[in-house]
Amino acid sequence: MGRQRLQSFPYWHEVILAAMLAALLVFARSVAPEFLYPGTQAEMSTHIWELALLALPMTLIIITGGIDLSVGSTMAMCAVVLGLSYQAGISPWVGALLAVLTGAAAGAANGVFVARVRVHPLIVTLATLAAYRGVAEGISLAKPVSGFPAGFTVLGLGSVAGVPIPGLIFAVALLAAAVVLGKTTTGRSIYAIGHNELASRFSGISVDRIKLALYTLSGTAAGMAAAVFVARRNTAKADIGQGMELDVITAVVLGGTSIYGGRGRIVGTLLGVLLIHETREFVSWQWSRDELILIVVGALLIVSVLLNTVLSPRRR
Amino acid sequence: MSKKRAATKHGAGLGIGQMLGRLARQREYGMLALLALTVAAVQSINHSFLAAGNLSDMLVQCAPAAIVACGMTFIIVMGEIDISVGSMMGLLAAVVGVLVSKHHYGMSVDLSVLLTLLLGGCLGFINGLLVTVGRVPSIIVTLGMLTVLRGVTEMVLGGEWVTDLPHGLRFLGTGSLAGVPICLIVAAVVAVASIVVATQTPLGRRIYAVGSNPDAARIAGLHETRLKTLVFTLTGFLVAVATVVSVPQLSVIESGIGSGFELLVVTCVVVGGTSIKGGKGTIVGSLLGVLLLGTVRTDLIFLRLGEMSTYWERAIQGAFILAAVLVDHLVRRRGTVEAEA
Amino acid sequence: MVVRSMMRVGVASLVLVALVCSGCGKKTQTGSSASVGTPAKSGKQFTICLLPKKKGLPYFTSCASGAEQAAKELGDVNLIYDGPTDGSPEKAASMIEKWTLKGVDVIAVSPNDPNVLAPAMRAARQKGIHVITWDADAPTDAREYFVNQATAKQIGYGLVDAVAKDIGGAQPTGKVAIITATLTAANQNEWIRYIKEHLKDYPGLTLVATKPSNEDQKLAFQVALDLMKAYPDLKGIFAISSVAFPGAAEAVKQSEKAGKVFVTGLSTPNDMRDYVKDGTVRSVVLWNTVDLGYLTISTAEALASGTLKPHATTIKAGRLGEKRIVGDNILLGDVLVFNKENIDKYRF
Repeated sequence: MGRQRLQSFPYWHEVILAAMLAALLVFARSVAPEFLYPGTQAEMSTHIWELALLALPMTLIIITGGIDLSVGSTMAMCAVVLGLSYQAGISPWVGALLAVLTGAAAGAANGVFVARVRVHPLIVTLATLAAYRGVAEGISLAKPVSGFPAGFTVLGLGSVAGVPIPGLIFAVALLAAAVVLGKTTTGRSIYAIGHNELASRFSGISVDRIKLALYTLSGTAAGMAAAVFVARRNTAKADIGQGMELDVITAVVLGGTSIYGGRGRIVGTLLGVLLIHETREFVSWQWSRDELILIVVGALLIVSVLLNTVLSPRRR
Repeated sequence: MSKKRAATKHGAGLGIGQMLGRLARQREYGMLALLALTVAAVQSINHSFLAAGNLSDMLVQCAPAAIVACGMTFIIVMGEIDISVGSMMGLLAAVVGVLVSKHHYGMSVDLSVLLTLLLGGCLGFINGLLVTVGRVPSIIVTLGMLTVLRGVTEMVLGGEWVTDLPHGLRFLGTGSLAGVPICLIVAAVVAVASIVVATQTPLGRRIYAVGSNPDAARIAGLHETRLKTLVFTLTGFLVAVATVVSVPQLSVIESGIGSGFELLVVTCVVVGGTSIKGGKGTIVGSLLGVLLLGTVRTDLIFLRLGEMSTYWERAIQGAFILAAVLVDHLVRRRGTVEAEA
Repeated sequence: MVVRSMMRVGVASLVLVALVCSGCGKKTQTGSSASVGTPAKSGKQFTICLLPKKKGLPYFTSCASGAEQAAKELGDVNLIYDGPTDGSPEKAASMIEKWTLKGVDVIAVSPNDPNVLAPAMRAARQKGIHVITWDADAPTDAREYFVNQATAKQIGYGLVDAVAKDIGGAQPTGKVAIITATLTAANQNEWIRYIKEHLKDYPGLTLVATKPSNEDQKLAFQVALDLMKAYPDLKGIFAISSVAFPGAAEAVKQSEKAGKVFVTGLSTPNDMRDYVKDGTVRSVVLWNTVDLGYLTISTAEALASGTLKPHATTIKAGRLGEKRIVGDNILLGDVLVFNKENIDKYRF
């Protein structure tokens, strides 16, 4: 009886993640306490905001049983738009808006193929992964643009009361995502689509509209991430964000979202992002070996999902 | 209605036009047509395109992707995916190099190749095990593996390249038997074997059965676990085969080998008509996909579009994939609608 | 039951994989955070971070070996050699930020993209950390010194002269092509600028294509093959990355065009030795990478310990002797051209 209760506890995955995170931080404290200083952590957090921002819409998309492999390439395309518009003399803030709009358009294109033309999202976004990256390289002629004014780079580098500005953007997005997913009918519809798309359609849920919205959202987030990145690194070029999509998917799945759809929570994604971030930073801090980071993150992903299987044996 | 009339008019069950139409809708013929069109177009602009040496080189370029695409087709038909093949290739290349190099182990070429093939199978087996027994979705397993193996490759090579490859190993990459490059012979053998297994053997039928309806297959007594593990192990083995016949083409083994390879292979298989949902797809289609996508870069160079074209290469590749996917999708939808009529 | 036996095979596979991989791993890793050298009498250890463009490239590994030599000789250096294994400038910038947080003494950077790294370098300098560049430069306000192996002009001109000499004749004529690293690599783009500039002095040579190889040797090999076929009258190839050069040379060798197509470029003597010996390649342009790493660490240590004062015109660099300082450039020396006669003298 107690075991059944234990197994039906819905937050197991999040608890395990939190435990792993805690264990890591405790270990870090004993071995390298400077790692945990708030100043250090705030500085290091600048590495993660783009990934965190992208992880939110990705969570929603994966819950519906879809996927978006084109976020890295979309980011590059948006960054290039920002760079070129700045070069043409347009204010970088307007350029950032253009970047976000480009991202939205790119995401909408994905959405149309997935929702209206009904091609499998893996295929669509695999194709746009190549296409968008190519467009970025083509229109920028592979030349980077830099030299953005300090008034703009504050978007990526500045902070308000010690909290980095991108962090504030993320916090707002996080709250919005959590509320939409947890408290609104749209959120419930998203879960429904992931559980059984056909039934959802018959129940009157506007599946196509929701899917289109989600992919557009993902593209928009990519545009925002591009603006933050360009501001932070003071460079707009076509080869940024390579491999970003895999990192984002890793974080989301680590956070407990099922790749088959129907299951997942924003708080899980948050924990997943945190765990990956702290793991990467700590391994880099302590051992300074780039190849080690790859091994640890990959193993972390597999082990966490494996643990999930062990602890909830009947679920798929 | 009009079709029925046409049928009775010709007396036979199907009108010729209708049959041609149905054939045209067959995925593979459409791709063959596209391939022929592309070749004709490039050849008309640059007449050295179809020279014997060039054809052979292009086929040799496609060989590793073709070999792995056979295994990948089975995996995707079963409803799974394997995106770790690129990192696997990198690791296996590093291992064969380190085993054979006199600076490290100095093993004989035969032993090194054997160990590498065995290692490839083991890696595939681990993937399969995690997917079936561990019940970790294949995209996650192979995503994790992709990262882990890349890191392990860096550690194995330790910041150096293997430059003293013995002649025996290089022969696998550069040599030929009866005028045909070894990698093409191996690719042909793998392709034919895969086609035979897929279409003629009970094993092939079982694989397709599990892919198209896993629940029915389970009830029918098919061992999903064993079949899936077999397919992953096979792919790992095939990656090792592809590595051993393509990497020694060059004289140096470095750490970046195989980067992006998985994307190419999956795209080729998908463009070749294999459905990502499983149950449908042919080896021939995947091979045509390899030919189509593997030669895009060469096509662009031969089209002599000038300096600017370099920057648009990837965009063109992406557009190509998009077009192929769209065409397939539209054709397939129209096909199913008409078949029901 | 099937599952159990499969698990056993699975464990066996894992063990085999682990054995092979750990056994294959190099016994002597180029040191990471391990302390190199015994503390000097004064006891003060300087932490110096050596950041290459891309960790894992033999070019940089050889620089690192020179750096380790210097660290061992100096005795007061704690050398950290780390860099992005994929060459990503963003990762490199993150590493600089991490070292800034840790408060190291000197960061020596070879920037793959100076614009991306400059802000992080400036921030490090603001915290009082010495920042120098080596192998490739960054904006002057982001670093104190640039340990320069040879000027971009020397390299670009040297490459063109090598190919022109190989093609031969008073007025060398023919088509040439460039195979570069990535299209955004700063060093390569500088060299390409000077290649194009110097090509104007050879009116008979026309540049027909510039193709990237993205640090992928296979790609360089295929691109070289394709170029030779698309332009059957191609006479020269500039393969200006240490990864592209062996690939292009292999392509020339396999198409049996040695002596008809002249390929030159930048790579280490070890990687090109066979090609030079069998005549596929006539000249390899580079510099002594081991010395470059050695000089970089010598400079870094001199900065950290205060031995190197501003406005100095020379610096004493251990076994290299006195090296000239021109402005804020510390010069290693000249470009080295390796050919059949001298390539055996160099083992890196």
